[in-house]
Amino acid sequence: MADRPPFEDLYREFLGRIYAYIRSQVGTSADAEDITAQVFMNAYQAYPRFEVRNTTPAAWLFRIARNATLDHFRAQGRRDRLRRTIEHQPVADVDPAGKAEERIQYRALLAQVAQLPERQRDAISLRHSGLSFDEVGRLMACSEDAAKMLYHRGVKALKDAVQKEAL
Amino acid sequence: MSDQEEDLEVLALRRQLDDAFATTRPRRDFEDELWARMQASRPAHNRFRDAIAGFMQGIREVPAVPAAAVATVLVVVLGVGLFAYSGIGQRHSGGNALSALSNGSGGTSRNGDQSSSGGFGLIPSPAFGQAVPATAPEATAPNPKGGEFTGPAQLVWAGQSSIVVTGAPVFRYREPSTGTADQFASALGAVLRGRPQGFLGAYSSSDYTLKVRGTIQSPPSSPAYFIFAGLTMEPVQAAGASQADLANIFLAEHKLDPQWSYTVSVDQSGDPVKVVYERQFEVPGYGLAYLVNGNGSRYGLEVDLSNDRPVVVSGMLPMTLDGAYYNLASPADAVQPALNPPPVATVAPLPKIQLTQVDLVYVLVPAGDHSFFEPAYLYSGTMQMNGVTYTKHVLEPAVVPSQRKP
Repeated sequence: MADRPPFEDLYREFLGRIYAYIRSQVGTSADAEDITAQVFMNAYQAYPRFEVRNTTPAAWLFRIARNATLDHFRAQGRRDRLRRTIEHQPVADVDPAGKAEERIQYRALLAQVAQLPERQRDAISLRHSGLSFDEVGRLMACSEDAAKMLYHRGVKALKDAVQKEAL
Repeated sequence: MSDQEEDLEVLALRRQLDDAFATTRPRRDFEDELWARMQASRPAHNRFRDAIAGFMQGIREVPAVPAAAVATVLVVVLGVGLFAYSGIGQRHSGGNALSALSNGSGGTSRNGDQSSSGGFGLIPSPAFGQAVPATAPEATAPNPKGGEFTGPAQLVWAGQSSIVVTGAPVFRYREPSTGTADQFASALGAVLRGRPQGFLGAYSSSDYTLKVRGTIQSPPSSPAYFIFAGLTMEPVQAAGASQADLANIFLAEHKLDPQWSYTVSVDQSGDPVKVVYERQFEVPGYGLAYLVNGNGSRYGLEVDLSNDRPVVVSGMLPMTLDGAYYNLASPADAVQPALNPPPVATVAPLPKIQLTQVDLVYVLVPAGDHSFFEPAYLYSGTMQMNGVTYTKHVLEPAVVPSQRKP
């Protein structure tokens, strides 16, 4: 228990990465903020029970983030989510959070990631959030090799989607 | 497209993904706003549990505390803590240190144990700045209207102390972090706006801005908060209320009531009117000892009122204190360094001042990660010069030299 870092350290270190992971999954920055807030609220409550010897802080937090994102999708339904994404796009211009994100260079790329099949999207997002394939596999309840396969298929699909968009 | 070209495209895409995830971040204020929400959402029972944990930590740091005494103090603390937790008796003046335990805002985790003296090891000695400057009295002309005499003088102890206690608690606190400041601000409903240099945080609410800073090493100054009224800050409305009443109302409305013992003094000599809550520490066998600065002036929390409108509030940041008993020198022994200062180059004889009174007080001693509130003796006396009465105050450490660092 003595090795457990102060929660504030985890919060400051992982907030950005967790947000980016969630943002790559959902359609709007507002949803990403809501889910990120829920993730850290839940983590803060659960931190006294977190055992360093069982898992890394990164894997623990991403597991909470992944579950929160899945809960979000379950609650909304993918069709609803897509509709809400489309409906929200016009007002995103006047939303300060949306405006801030307009400045991010790779917003379009993350939007393409968000359109991938769920498990491919998850593998790419977790991998590029800094987790190893072993950790990605554990979170997705599959082997390390299966995680690699999902990731490579996802990247291939993403490349095709980007090329198609360019045309 | 060749396999090689495709591999290069995939590689480029991966790099773009790395960049995309590395550069996608929430808006600038989100991190601090969420942290403040999290702190504000902490259940009250968690805060109480933390206070108890701090109490137990304090006990562990005093190895010689007899188990029975620990058990007795713990029972008392738990009882008092639960009493305070229930919301009864939150407001107090003249309450003891234990009563503030449960709310964790400026209380002490325990009062120390008289049977285990020196639980913090050797404590740092307060530096009172050797207030007497090495100049001749004519070079520092005293105020012709009287007041404090700041020049060099030949001091004589001619008092009879009524202080009979041989030990007093020393209180220690951990230097507050940005998290401490954020928690304090969020409890007030203020939102983080930035961390300007020299401050733990700057915050704003609907009608004021708030700044919080840590300990200042020199001249010693406690961790503090400062509230600066905005234009929307309304005067406190209370028919027939005194200035102290208005300050009390403002503090209660903003959850800033001091959770320590105090007396109130009001300075109405100018604008703004200053209402000062002078902090006290309880010393078993002695009573309540005031907290003073290097000039011997009492402090704690000040509300400045202009036309009944609070304009500035400056107070000590609530902190959890650990306590441990230390042996005290007698006032007659402790004053000796002041009676025999290093020689001063002067052409005229030094004025002679008889110190006739002594009070036990507390002073802040900054010491890095942990700082201390230590007992000290505040000696005072008067003298006549050219028909004008001057007063002289001298501070000396009260803890015996063997329990202090040189």
